[in-house]
Amino acid sequence: MSLNADISRMSNFTEEQLAGYVIDAATEVFSTMVMMEVKGEFPLKEPVSRFKCSITGMVGFAGTYSGVISIHCPVALALKITSNMLGMECDEVNDDLNDAIGEIANMLGGSVKQVLSKGGLDVKLSIPTVISGEDYTVNSLSDNDCVVVPFTIEEHTLLVGLTLKKED
Amino acid sequence: MANILIVDDSSTMRKIISRSLRQAGLVVDEIFEAGDGIEGLGVIASGKSIQLILSDINMPNMDGLEFVKTVRGNGNTTPIVMITTEGGEEIIAEAMSSGANDSIKKPFTPDQLQEKLGGLI
Repeated sequence: MSLNADISRMSNFTEEQLAGYVIDAATEVFSTMVMMEVKGEFPLKEPVSRFKCSITGMVGFAGTYSGVISIHCPVALALKITSNMLGMECDEVNDDLNDAIGEIANMLGGSVKQVLSKGGLDVKLSIPTVISGEDYTVNSLSDNDCVVVPFTIEEHTLLVGLTLKKED
Repeated sequence: MANILIVDDSSTMRKIISRSLRQAGLVVDEIFEAGDGIEGLGVIASGKSIQLILSDINMPNMDGLEFVKTVRGNGNTTPIVMITTEGGEEIIAEAMSSGANDSIKKPFTPDQLQEKLGGLI
């Protein structure tokens, strides 16, 4: 699951640069809004599409660039994240959990969008979409255009993926 | 003391903003919440006393830009500050030309809220 060479050339970003933007965005979002320190690692070499006991938040880009930024998080970690964001205990998968993970995806999307579009009008962000379950699969139609960065938080690992395509 | 209207489709973000206002030491009386621009207009139309409006941009039903235009079109001069993930220069310029007074980029810290909002409430 590495960035397609054509995509990299057209977008003027290398895989390392995009991974760096994802790491910077996640580090800022988690330190300021979740009060958690995250540690970004090297992008994954192989795709991850199947998730167990997890929650996934996604925000789409459309315009000069199209794509999706996604966060895949084990439910146990998502409960801690939501509790920190709300300042109150969250111990079940509910609307608060979905909303919190969706909002993180939204903030990550906003940060990455600023790199893609200085003005902001030529790239639109979608409203967040959130899915969760005991065992589910998320498939991108263009997995080879995707950068996936793992982050370690306490004993958990969450993934942030960025699928990107420059439109003609 | 100020009454504040927070317009954001994320209930989590509305709670974070509410908590951050107090952490920033801003003196807040009552906080009203709305999940999109249409709900925000409804709160305003209900006649509540509101001294500051904080609005997201990217929302369903009615986004923040349309919300600001409508509020100003109704002759309402209450200060409006956009709190948004949308940090692009052109979008912020459009918000300001529509009638917003300032903008704050998400994610934010309580200190940044204090800096931007301290003079408004």
